Amino acid sequence: MNGFFILLVFLVLGGALQIWLDLPVPASITGMLLLLGYLVIRGKVPESLTRITTVLSPLLPLFIIPVSAGIITQEELLADHGIALVVILIISLVPGALVTAFIMSWGRKS
Amino acid sequence: MDALLTMPLFWAMLTIAFFLLGQKLYAALGNSAFAPPILTGLVLVVLTLHLTGTSFEQYMEGGQYLHLMLGPVVVMLAVPLYQFFHAIRKDAVRIFLAVALGSGVTVGVAVALTIWWVADHTVVASVAAKSVTTAVAVVLTEEMGGIAALASVCVMITGFAGVVVIPPLLRAAKLDQPKSMGLSLGVCAHAIGTSYALEMGEEQAAYSAMAMTLTATLHAIVLPLII
Repeated sequence: MNGFFILLVFLVLGGALQIWLDLPVPASITGMLLLLGYLVIRGKVPESLTRITTVLSPLLPLFIIPVSAGIITQEELLADHGIALVVILIISLVPGALVTAFIMSWGRKS
Repeated sequence: MDALLTMPLFWAMLTIAFFLLGQKLYAALGNSAFAPPILTGLVLVVLTLHLTGTSFEQYMEGGQYLHLMLGPVVVMLAVPLYQFFHAIRKDAVRIFLAVALGSGVTVGVAVALTIWWVADHTVVASVAAKSVTTAVAVVLTEEMGGIAALASVCVMITGFAGVVVIPPLLRAAKLDQPKSMGLSLGVCAHAIGTSYALEMGEEQAAYSAMAMTLTATLHAIVLPLII
């Protein structure tokens, strides 16, 4: 439970900062960055946090299903723009993949 | 039957059941990148809602309990991110540049095309998070005024398309060294790319997971400032 408590503490901190500083970044992202900073300062990951990560990581997709099911309320939008979106998503992959791979292999032998 | 359909916890239970089924299917297909548990679970939930004529609001009365966990889980991503920082010190600048520019280009092209072709701000805000792993994409899109469900679907389509398009593309361009391949899959195809990279080898998978986490973090900070 310690690990989960740590996550909630940083989530709440992120939420508080978001309100106080009027941040455009979501509370959970701010919380993640704060936790990252804490880990960097501490120099290692607390055992309890490692344990909760092992438990929760495989369940991550489960927590995304409910909000994703909201797609049933977007039938009209999908009918209007669905094909355009798929085409856009596929086309935009090409330059992204090439740029990433080019920078990664530029000036090195394979 | 109606009693069940109006019981919030029934929907939470059903979602978990469908997800577990998805995990079984994923394992049965040899961890195929094309059958991630989230897709199976989502398709089954959507089908059930259709067949029973249940509204999304009704479903969410139970679904919200699972949705609530998204916050802590996103905070948790700091742990793998921290571990990557440790592992990659010596190549950090190159990796950071590759991830930042690569993901910037793919999102930039997608957003520009969407503005030109669809011209709808909520759709643009939902497409912008397309290269971000789904959990982060969802919280990000809600913040930017997009449609979280649409973002989630865009992320999944991007993932599948990336797994199909990227490997042959990089092979043809002779940029298919393990590190480049892994990084590109992670930047463009996030978790689905990483699960595919696992089939290629350990180095590809490690670089893909790292690229996915870096992209998600970077975009989570930068996108809300731009969109």
